[in-house]
Amino acid sequence: MAITADGHAPTIALDGARKVRGNLTQARIRWMILALVLGFGLVGGRLVQLGLVETDSAIEGQARDVITATRPPILDRNGLEMAVDIRVPSLFAEPRRIIDVQEAVRKLRTVLPDLSADWLRERLTGEQGFVWVQRELSPAIQERVMRLGIPGIDFITESKRFYPGMNEASHILGSTNIDNRGIAGIERHMDGEDIALLQDLGLARGNALTPVDLSVDMRVQHVMHEQLVDALQRYSAIAAAGVMLDIHTGEVIALASLPDFDPNQPATALVKDSFNRITAGIFEPGSIFKTVTMAGALDSGAVRITDSFDARFGIRFGRYTIDDFHGKHRILSLPEVYKYSSNIGTIRVMQAMGKDNFRAFLTRIGLDTRVPFELPEMRLPTVPKELSEVGAATASFGHGLSVSPLHMVTAYAAFVNGGNYIAPTLYKRDLATAQAQYRRVISPQASDEVRYLMRLNALEGSGSQMNKAALGYRVGGKTGTAEKVVDGRYSSSKVTNFFGSAFPLDNPRYAMIIMVDEPKAENAQQGTTAGWNAGTVTGRIVQRVAPMLGVAPDFAEILDENLVPPAIR
Amino acid sequence: MIRNLNIILIFTSVLMLAGVYTLKFAIENTANERAALIAQIDSQQGSLSLLKADEAVLSQPGHIAPIVERHAMALDIAPVRQEQFGSFADLPMRPAKPNSAAMDSLFTALEAGIDPIDAILELEGIE
Repeated sequence: MAITADGHAPTIALDGARKVRGNLTQARIRWMILALVLGFGLVGGRLVQLGLVETDSAIEGQARDVITATRPPILDRNGLEMAVDIRVPSLFAEPRRIIDVQEAVRKLRTVLPDLSADWLRERLTGEQGFVWVQRELSPAIQERVMRLGIPGIDFITESKRFYPGMNEASHILGSTNIDNRGIAGIERHMDGEDIALLQDLGLARGNALTPVDLSVDMRVQHVMHEQLVDALQRYSAIAAAGVMLDIHTGEVIALASLPDFDPNQPATALVKDSFNRITAGIFEPGSIFKTVTMAGALDSGAVRITDSFDARFGIRFGRYTIDDFHGKHRILSLPEVYKYSSNIGTIRVMQAMGKDNFRAFLTRIGLDTRVPFELPEMRLPTVPKELSEVGAATASFGHGLSVSPLHMVTAYAAFVNGGNYIAPTLYKRDLATAQAQYRRVISPQASDEVRYLMRLNALEGSGSQMNKAALGYRVGGKTGTAEKVVDGRYSSSKVTNFFGSAFPLDNPRYAMIIMVDEPKAENAQQGTTAGWNAGTVTGRIVQRVAPMLGVAPDFAEILDENLVPPAIR
Repeated sequence: MIRNLNIILIFTSVLMLAGVYTLKFAIENTANERAALIAQIDSQQGSLSLLKADEAVLSQPGHIAPIVERHAMALDIAPVRQEQFGSFADLPMRPAKPNSAAMDSLFTALEAGIDPIDAILELEGIE
C-alpha cells in the first residue's frame, strides 16, 4: 500500500481471500519442493559417498579368495593321489570388534596355550579389521574356541596341501607355503605354469580343478625309497639317490634322494644336505662315464667292437701316469676294456675318436647344458669348454667333469633306446609325443653294441653282484666309483658310487642310476666299490619292481646270446 | 469421483506394500536358507576333503607295505621270486595220442581200490 502526498484518495488494494490462500499454497509448495530436493539430494549424496567407499575384503594384503584358493590334486601314473587339498579352519581376529582384550587373551590361551600372552595382547589391540591368530588348526580346536564365545574372534576355512605319501616322493613334489603357493618341486613348477594364471584370472578359486597326472609310479617310488633308506643304513652312507626313466618316453618313473624331508612340514626341507641330488647335485661320475665314451666312439666309427687296445702300460701325461684300478696289463679287446673298466683302454678308445670329436659328442648328448626338466632345483654341469690332452683322457673315464645323475640317466636312456635323445619329464607323455621330440645322438647299431657291453658287464664284470639279485630280468649296467677330492687330492677312502643300468636288455624299457655317497663296506668280506653297494641296490630294486612294471623274468640264455653283435659272435 | 479414485489408490498401495513386505521376507528367508546350504556344503566339502586325504593315505604303498610285513608270517606271503614265474611255453604239449595203456592200468588200480593220488599225498606229507 502506498500513500501519496497529493491528496488523492489512496487506493487500497486488498487481495481477496482466495488469492491470499492461493499465494500461500504456492509458497508452501515451493518450500515443500525445496525440502524434497534437499532430502533427495542428501540421500543421493550419501549413496555416492557409499559407492565411493572401497570395501576392504583383503586379508593382510591378500584377496580373501586367494587364501581359500585350491590347488589341483596331483596323481601318480596309476591315479593314486600324491598331493591333495584339505580344508582346515584358521583362527583370525577383528581387533576393532574386541571389547575386552585382556579377557580374550586369557580365554584364548586356555585352548591355545602355546601362544605367548604378550604377543597375543599386542595382536588383538588396535583398530585393524583382520589379523591372523593361528592358521591351520584342527576341527576339534575350532569347536573349543567357538565355545569360548569371544566377540571379534572367528574362523575362516583355508585350503591346506597334504601329501599322503609323506617323505616318499618329497623331492618330486616339493612343497607349498602357508598361503598355498608352491615353493619347491613340481608344486613350484605348476605355479609357474597355468595354475598361477588361472588363479590370477579368478578361475581356480574354490572350484574343483583338473588333477595333474605325473609320470611317477608310486609303487616303484616306494620300493626305490625303501631300498635307498636301507642302503643308507646298510652301508653307513651319508647320502643315497636314485632315478628311473622310461627310455622310450623319457618319463620319470621314480626319483628319490636321501636325506629327504617331509613335504607336510616345509620347514624340514631347509635342513642341510636334504637337497635333490638327482637334479641339483653335480658329481664326478667316475666309470659310469665310460659308457658315454664307448657309445661316442662306436657311433663315430673310429673304433669297432672287434678292435683291441694296448693296456699293458699306464699312460704318462707329464708327471702323471694314469693306470688301471684292477689292471690286467695286457692287450684288451673293446668289450674287455669295458668289462674290466680299464682306464688305459678307455683313454685309447677316446684317443681313437679324437678329443675334439669326443667333446662335441658330450655336447650332442646334452652333458654340458641344463637338462630340460620341470623341477626348479637344477644345477649346471661343469664340463670344460675345451679339453686338453690330459683333460680329455681323464674325462673319458669320468673325472675332471661334473654332471648330475639326471644327465647320466638321460644319456643312458638314449644309448639303449636305439640312440634317440629324449628329455626327461615328470608329466605323463605318450610314445607318439615323445617320438616327435626324438633327436638322434648315436646310430641304432652303436646302441645295440652298448646294450651288449652293459649286459656283458653284468654277466662277467663289475655288475655281477647286481645281476645275482636281479637274475632273469636281463639287467645290464656299469659301475662307477669316483674318488672324492679331499684337501685337493683324490681320496681312496671317500668315494661316491654310481650304478648306471638298463633292463630288460633284450627289449629295453627302463634306465636307472643309483648313487651311494661315501659308503662303508657292509662286512669284512665286501668292498666299498660301486658293485658292492650301488650295484646290489640296483639289483634289489629291479628284483622288486620288474614284476610291477610288467617285466617277467626269463632265464633263457638265447636272449643274452642274441645281444652279442654278429661281428664277435 | 476423485474421492473414489483416491480410496482405490490407497487400498491398492496398502495391498502392494503388504505384497512387497511379504516378498522381502520371503527373499530374506531364501537367502538365509541359501547361506545355510552353502555353509553346509562347505563343511561337507571340508569333511570330504579329509576323507579323501585319509583314503589317499590308506592306499599309499608306503602305508600298505608295513602292514603286509607285519602279517607276512601269519599269511605266509613274501615278495615274489623270479623262480615263481611261469609261462605258457613252460607247459608241456598235450601228448599226440592218449596213453591208453597207462589209462587202463589207472582204471584197474582204481577199481581194485588203490588211488595213486593217496601215495603222492602221503609222499608230500599232506593228509
